[in-house]
Amino acid sequence: VPAPVPAVALGVMAAGADAVAAATTTPFTWQADLVTALPIAALAVGALWRWPLHPRPRPAREPGPAGEAGEPGEPRRPGQPGQPGLESGASRALGAFGPWCALVLVVVAWELFEYLAPGSRGAHPTLSSMADALDRHRAAKAVVFAAWLCLGACIVRAGARDASGVATPPS
Amino acid sequence: VSAALADALWVVLGAAVLGLWVRSHLGRSGPARPSVVLERLATGSLARIALVLAWMWTGWHLFAR
Repeated sequence: VPAPVPAVALGVMAAGADAVAAATTTPFTWQADLVTALPIAALAVGALWRWPLHPRPRPAREPGPAGEAGEPGEPRRPGQPGQPGLESGASRALGAFGPWCALVLVVVAWELFEYLAPGSRGAHPTLSSMADALDRHRAAKAVVFAAWLCLGACIVRAGARDASGVATPPS
Repeated sequence: VSAALADALWVVLGAAVLGLWVRSHLGRSGPARPSVVLERLATGSLARIALVLAWMWTGWHLFAR
């Protein structure tokens, strides 16, 4: 069940205000702690409210690799992935999610290498140091903060769907 | 590894993310769309906890501490 429009508008306005407020704060201050803790608490409440306590087991049929989350009853044409006997579910899942897993592994490995490498942070930039450099500009920090908030909202929304792709009503 | 090489590799990794993102929207036979990956993680019993904790830690690390 989608959230009502006024609630969405209120959420967007609150997120925008929080992002602007965050852009004016400096890390390691109580103000920065507060503007960051608020959405963290909001996500925890949202997840507890919207998410099913026990996710349903996944159906045998996986979504198509490019990823429509599986419209119920959507027919698949012969020869397409998902056709029984042509491609197993495991290999489809590997083709769909494998590239993302591999990329995340490479990024994490490179981040660790840079983090542990001897020398200055300038010579070995990490994601954190690059984000710190970006955060020196208030507008950029507001954008990055808003993107983080948006990701949090997407996580809550994604988790509110059960494994069959159907939105779960708030309990 | 020189700073220039490190920067270049970060650019390559960023381009790879963008490329994968674009490719996931081009057809049904490619990688899963980011929204599907997110949904997959957010509907897993353990993965959704890890996902939320990772999101929380990222925000706290980048903006608070």
